[in-house]
Amino acid sequence: MRSRSEVVVNYVILIAFAAAVVLPILWLLGAALSPSAEGVVDLAHLHLNFGNFAAAWIQADFGRHLAISLIVACGTVLVVALIAPLAGYSLALLRPPGGKLLFALFLAGIMIPLEGIIVPLYFDLRSYGLVDSVPGLLLVQIGLSLSFGVFWMRTSIASVPPTLIESAQLDGAGRFATLWRIVLPLQRPAMITLALLVFMWTWNDYFVAFVLMNNPDQFPVTVALGDFTQRYSSEVNLMCAAGVLIALPVVILYIFAQRHFISGVLAGALKG
Amino acid sequence: MTLERLKGAPASRPLPAVRERRRPLARSLRDWAAAWAFILPALAIYVLIVVVPTVQSAWYSLWNWDGVSAASWVGLGNYLGFLQDPTAIEALGHTGILLLFFSVIPIVLGLLSAALLSRGRLRGEGIFRWVIFLPQVLPSVVIAVTWKQLYGPGGPVNTALQDVGLGWLQQDWLGSFTLALPALGLVGTWTTFGLCMLLFVSGAMAIPEELYDAARVDGAGAVREFFAVTLPGLVPQLGVALTLTIIGALRAFDLIWLTTRGGPGTSTQTPAIILYSQAFVQQNVGAAAAIGVLMAVASLIVALVIARFTGEGAR
Repeated sequence: MRSRSEVVVNYVILIAFAAAVVLPILWLLGAALSPSAEGVVDLAHLHLNFGNFAAAWIQADFGRHLAISLIVACGTVLVVALIAPLAGYSLALLRPPGGKLLFALFLAGIMIPLEGIIVPLYFDLRSYGLVDSVPGLLLVQIGLSLSFGVFWMRTSIASVPPTLIESAQLDGAGRFATLWRIVLPLQRPAMITLALLVFMWTWNDYFVAFVLMNNPDQFPVTVALGDFTQRYSSEVNLMCAAGVLIALPVVILYIFAQRHFISGVLAGALKG
Repeated sequence: MTLERLKGAPASRPLPAVRERRRPLARSLRDWAAAWAFILPALAIYVLIVVVPTVQSAWYSLWNWDGVSAASWVGLGNYLGFLQDPTAIEALGHTGILLLFFSVIPIVLGLLSAALLSRGRLRGEGIFRWVIFLPQVLPSVVIAVTWKQLYGPGGPVNTALQDVGLGWLQQDWLGSFTLALPALGLVGTWTTFGLCMLLFVSGAMAIPEELYDAARVDGAGAVREFFAVTLPGLVPQLGVALTLTIIGALRAFDLIWLTTRGGPGTSTQTPAIILYSQAFVQQNVGAAAAIGVLMAVASLIVALVIARFTGEGAR
């Protein structure tokens, strides 16, 4: 057993680490609520100005960008949650010839950094007329999420007990019925994790949207904030308020589904 | 027990035996076609968005193209151009410095905290875990906006220095040729530390308690215990943390673009920043593609080499 002093030392170190993480975030919150344009956080004369959120919302035309981000992130989650389990089911259980090779192809996508594809991707989309287009961005985000999605669902579906599958077959269940009635109900935790991770990656993405969207009217929230900071750099409090608004959806999901996020990110990290 | 369950006669067989030889459901050509049809939607989009552009990157990198007019063949010229460009070499040096902040420091700190925390549970651990992992779920743009202000001339970092009597250290951190890069590096440390810590703490929790008991019976102190038990048990997690953080450092873009744009001068340029400006500012599409290919190859090598030394095969 550990001594009392060891426990105290552990707490001191943990608190120091946690404080280092949390102080910048607290400052962001404070600046977002600060009445001064410089975003000065004056703890002595605390005056919380919630009007900043409304002001930032109006000045940055936030509603429009929010709608774009929501369409892209939710659309990506929906489509990936629909087609990744189909592919994962086939690769894990139906196992057609060439399936192993296909799985390797999907896995390779996890290892290839975005920079290795972004340049031709931009020009391809331009030739399809999908640059500066929300459907174009949605399509790209789906494609980028699929390698993880298929990997994740295949791994999860492969762990369904084979006896369950066999008994379904004996009952005369077809491929779809087996998937729908036996396999999918067991995938709830895996699907929730996948949906949360894909939502987070797509919502938080800056680079892809930054490259593919040049028209300010089509910016998702992240790119809009980057743009906002260039144009309204003197209004730090509004900038920070916008930042808080943008971070909020994923942070709220994280509050309620911490375990899914952490286990997903850690497992996703082990995906190689 | 339902009838359905009973009908599944194989259930009485020992499970591992079944697992080894699970029969594919697909048997005939028809079944194969159906199996492929399940994969097709995902495969089609994936090929269009990821596979084709990957191949195109390699092809583009052999051409000199401004994105509009006809391209001319340059062979490996774009690669040679990149490797002979002093700014590119400087950017690679910056990546080296970022590696220290994005990878080495978070991993050392993560191992340290795992060593301390794996010696038993603490009350309130869950809250600490929640807080320390938080930067991982924040959008990069919000992190960049926050730290740009924190480091600003009249910002909280300078105010805090003033308050603790280190006023002579005050400066415009991101405007400094020498300090901007390490200052941004520290933001990377701030972001990735929590991930490393959780990886190592959860890995350390899985180390059998008997190993620690044995070490303690041998009279090992905390330090010996760490090197004899904890560290060897964390090799797989170490591999993951190294892969993720090294690739993160190689790819650094959002944070730098949104704070310094590679400046002042070229003092915070990274390969990804050069790639972006080559492709979309200076219209050297081929040169940009070549940088993309080099970055992809570097990432693959990093991932494979680390897997070779820390993966299943290594032990």
